[in-house]
Amino acid sequence: MTFSTGITGIQNMAPELPLQASEDLLSTPMFNLIHSFGVDLHHAESYVGKTTRMSRFERLSTEGGQLDGSGIDPASEVPVRTDIDATMEIYAKSIVTNEQVVLWENSKTLTKFTALLGQWLREKEDLLMRDLFSSSVSYINATGGLNGDQPSNISLNDVNNIENILLGNDARSMLTSLEATLKFATGGVRDAFIALANTNLSSDLQKVQGVLLKSAYPTQEGIRPEEYCSISRFRFFVSSKAAKTPGISLRGNTVYTIPMYGLEAAAKIDQNNFTAKIGYRPDWVVSSVAQNSQLYAKFAIARAITNQNWISGLNVTTFQPS
Amino acid sequence: MAFTIVSQGTFVQPATAINMTIPLPSGADYFVTTNVTQMPLAPATGVVIRGEWYGGGITAVNDGIRWKKTNSTNALLIDTFATATASNGFTYVTTQPQPEAAVVGTAITAANPAVVTMTNTYSEGDVVQLYGTTGMLQIAGMAFTISSVSGSGFTLLGLDASGFAAPATAVTARRISKMMPVEPRFLYVTGITKATQGVVTVSEKHNYVVGQKVEFTIPGSLGMVQLNNYYLPQNVPPVITAVTDYTFTINVNTTSFTTFAFPASTASPTAQLFATVTSAGQSAQFNPITNVQTGYNTQYVPYHSGNFIPFMYLPAGAQSPGGAANDRIVWQAYKMETGTINSPVPS
Repeated sequence: MTFSTGITGIQNMAPELPLQASEDLLSTPMFNLIHSFGVDLHHAESYVGKTTRMSRFERLSTEGGQLDGSGIDPASEVPVRTDIDATMEIYAKSIVTNEQVVLWENSKTLTKFTALLGQWLREKEDLLMRDLFSSSVSYINATGGLNGDQPSNISLNDVNNIENILLGNDARSMLTSLEATLKFATGGVRDAFIALANTNLSSDLQKVQGVLLKSAYPTQEGIRPEEYCSISRFRFFVSSKAAKTPGISLRGNTVYTIPMYGLEAAAKIDQNNFTAKIGYRPDWVVSSVAQNSQLYAKFAIARAITNQNWISGLNVTTFQPS
Repeated sequence: MAFTIVSQGTFVQPATAINMTIPLPSGADYFVTTNVTQMPLAPATGVVIRGEWYGGGITAVNDGIRWKKTNSTNALLIDTFATATASNGFTYVTTQPQPEAAVVGTAITAANPAVVTMTNTYSEGDVVQLYGTTGMLQIAGMAFTISSVSGSGFTLLGLDASGFAAPATAVTARRISKMMPVEPRFLYVTGITKATQGVVTVSEKHNYVVGQKVEFTIPGSLGMVQLNNYYLPQNVPPVITAVTDYTFTINVNTTSFTTFAFPASTASPTAQLFATVTSAGQSAQFNPITNVQTGYNTQYVPYHSGNFIPFMYLPAGAQSPGGAANDRIVWQAYKMETGTINSPVPS
């Protein structure tokens, strides 16, 4: 129905500019960055190649060693060194912006795009660490769940099995270090190993016998938003980008990989002075007619599993097929 | 200038042609292959002498423009790779490849090596993840390198199934990337001998090297649990002393260990699977008396990315851009100088 009152309003005289930008940008979605939790941070120097070597002396044998009084010396032992090597790699991203974007459409693009590149830096680093865990660690198929698949959905028996492996291999838990106490607060299991899971597993985690959800921790102070629950001696952290492989279980369902580890199981190596570089190339450098400017971000990273004995984990499916 | 060549190169297919991946650090808006071996010849119908791929979503996955010759003449015909059932086209890969669409087969023999019956378009050396292996569920979920590939099946050189109670009466496969996101990666163990130096068989062609240290995860359902998280008496992980494509020898005397054997198919899904092995560093040694260095490999042993992404995937085959056995292929990757191919900057 249309009618006229003789009054000039927005219904017959639309604004010359029909829209305006709100003063604040909406949030940019960002996933939980969990894959560097508890890993060692090492630094690589410049000018000495791109391979970083981390070495460990294996402990000496505790067999024998008694002196019989004859004056004959016991056999000496040659220490053994294990070398873990990692190759430094550089990743980069750039945004090229035409002057017309700023001239007509947007304001403060340098600031906004710099923030985007900063987010990319941290997200990319997280995914690279995730890929290390999913590729280079031996996982055990969960079998204690009742969904009839191989691997099954997660169960307390499966979690306890991994705990046995880590304890049997003398792995150290996270909260034996003061730094970790500060990072992960003191709720839930104080003396804990870490487990990293996909958010799709959250409903299955809730059903595991003996689970302690984050909301039930005796203290809530300092608990990270990424944390979801505790089961046995593991504190579970979740991310929507945690590892999964579609369609490869016995029944063709998605298999989720849950790395579970203690201290010094994995390492992230930063190249000195190359941890996070964000730069700007002005338009008169990028473009012959000074129309395009460029923002870039780059970082160098090497990654390694430094002790396979102190990391294990589960392959699981979900109770409801996914 | 609309396009700039950002990289180019050439490769020669081995005696058994394999799928190729071309790393493209800058990405690509246009990619072209030329089969310089077939180009001057008058080959059979359908043999590709040139392939073209356009970015920006213009070329569909596994497709592209195909230049071919008519039967035994030099006359040119142009169509697309998708029009020929015997061909696969270009695939531009920008993320770590996920398992491909499922392909259903009908059998896996209980033999050494096991042979899979499956109508497929796979190539020599591809890696497939098998599941739904009815009657042979103890391997459901494992990845295998395939060989002796024909349109009707392939062989699993990494699996001795002669001890299995029965053949599989169904199987489903998904092709996966030959390389994990990070290498060296874990591998599935399909056999371990009882010997002074045990010989380990894995399901995929491996890149492990002499001198590499390894750690095993062996559930009780597969027998040789003595090797589970095994460390030598001095707390040293086992060290590889010899390698073949699918096996490696370790410096562990397994003679008195429990026999390694798969559980029965009926034990799945409650029996714990699988036995795996993964890299645990290396032991580089230099003997100044003999002047011999052993156990160091800078190319494979350090942890590194498995795939350079993005890359162009060129399937092998006479009617595909990767070419057939012994063909020399020249490739070029182009970029739009500014913008992308389907949204160029106005000039």
